[in-house]
Amino acid sequence: MTIYLVIPLLFVVAVLQTSLVPHFALWGVFADLPVLFVGGWGLVAGSREGALWGFIAGLVTDALSGAPFGAATFGLIAVGFLAGLAEANVSRAQFVLPLVAIFLATVVYDLTFLLIVRISGHPVVWLESLLRIILPSAALNTALAPLVYGPMRLLHNRFIREEMEF
Amino acid sequence: MTRERLRNLVPILLAALAFVGLILHSTGQLQPLEGLLVRATTPLQELLSGATSQLGELAQTARDLRDLRQRNEELESENARLLLDNVRLREIQAEAALLRDLLNFKQDNPGYEVRGARVIGRVIGQDPSNLQRFVILDVGREAGLAPNMPVTTDRGLVGRVREVGTGWSRVLLIIDTTSSVNALTQSTRANGLVEGQPDGSLVMRNIPQGDVVSVGDTVFTSGLGGNFPRQLLIGQVTGVERKDFELYQTATVQPTVDFDHLEVVLIITDFEPIEGTEETDSGSGEP
Repeated sequence: MTIYLVIPLLFVVAVLQTSLVPHFALWGVFADLPVLFVGGWGLVAGSREGALWGFIAGLVTDALSGAPFGAATFGLIAVGFLAGLAEANVSRAQFVLPLVAIFLATVVYDLTFLLIVRISGHPVVWLESLLRIILPSAALNTALAPLVYGPMRLLHNRFIREEMEF
Repeated sequence: MTRERLRNLVPILLAALAFVGLILHSTGQLQPLEGLLVRATTPLQELLSGATSQLGELAQTARDLRDLRQRNEELESENARLLLDNVRLREIQAEAALLRDLLNFKQDNPGYEVRGARVIGRVIGQDPSNLQRFVILDVGREAGLAPNMPVTTDRGLVGRVREVGTGWSRVLLIIDTTSSVNALTQSTRANGLVEGQPDGSLVMRNIPQGDVVSVGDTVFTSGLGGNFPRQLLIGQVTGVERKDFELYQTATVQPTVDFDHLEVVLIITDFEPIEGTEETDSGSGEP
């Protein structure tokens, strides 16, 4: 998929994340669209493209976030890369693996995010954040994963012959 | 007679048929046929009528709901205003008494003396992460905003400006886990540090064991540290945790600001925080 499409797409995703998504909170948390999109793309396109998507999405998300710059970028690169590692096995575990991958991707993203926040000198309440935010957030993202993963597969099939242009 | 001419006669024939029907109806001779049609169409009519009625009721209910909601909002707003007035009056009373007792000093306007210059900012976005609590405003450097300026609403303290750009600024909310604000309770003047929690609630830590903190007490900024003006409303104490073996007690605080529905905020631009005393983002949580 050409990078000229990826950038505006992920930009729109990040804008939606800051404007619309917070209004639809469930269990005190809201969905994490960048994680869903980057994780979804990693699952269908592999680690390399997943990481690249994570990088682009992370930059845009960081630009819109009040967190230390890089927190989202690192987290999303990790999400894209790790989700991409599961790519080879997705066809064998068509349904369960994407869900497990998105759950773990969210946990990895949030923990990476908090780690960067902590490294930047800000206090982090690890256990409470894990129990009250990260796990509910991972559950919510997992529930929403099929809504994103399906279109991601279609999109990937559409552009399957194309490589990302740097 | 050609077919074309017959077609031209159809309207006339139909009009004539209608006229005959009118006559038959007026004489009552069409009644059996009419009854048959009515019976055949009754179920459908009932169905449609019921549906329309329900839709009408639904619309009416929606209108009533809207009216009630509006009324409720008005009452809530009035209640909040009265509560705030009440709190302010009690604060004025408490402060006046304190000053009279200690300093024998008269103070005419003990309220929000630092709120002279204000900028109204509209909340246009929130932080993309569940783990951070920021809002993005549509005003920035051009409006005189600078980092560390306190942000408030008519209901209480919101946070402080963290970053400023042209046409935008980012505000760290007091419910963020990296935020801490020096505060005191209204009735007993107990000092503590109000900190944000991961779930968006507030706790007041580092309250000395000897101080009395009671549920329902109002919490204000104390002004200690010099990063926030004094007497900005933060919230109300909803619970107190006191353990004999600990140096300090902790209180849970319900913020008066509804952070989920922030739309317009006020930025206090004429307050100058004291340099070098980072109250928010301190990270230590220690007094």
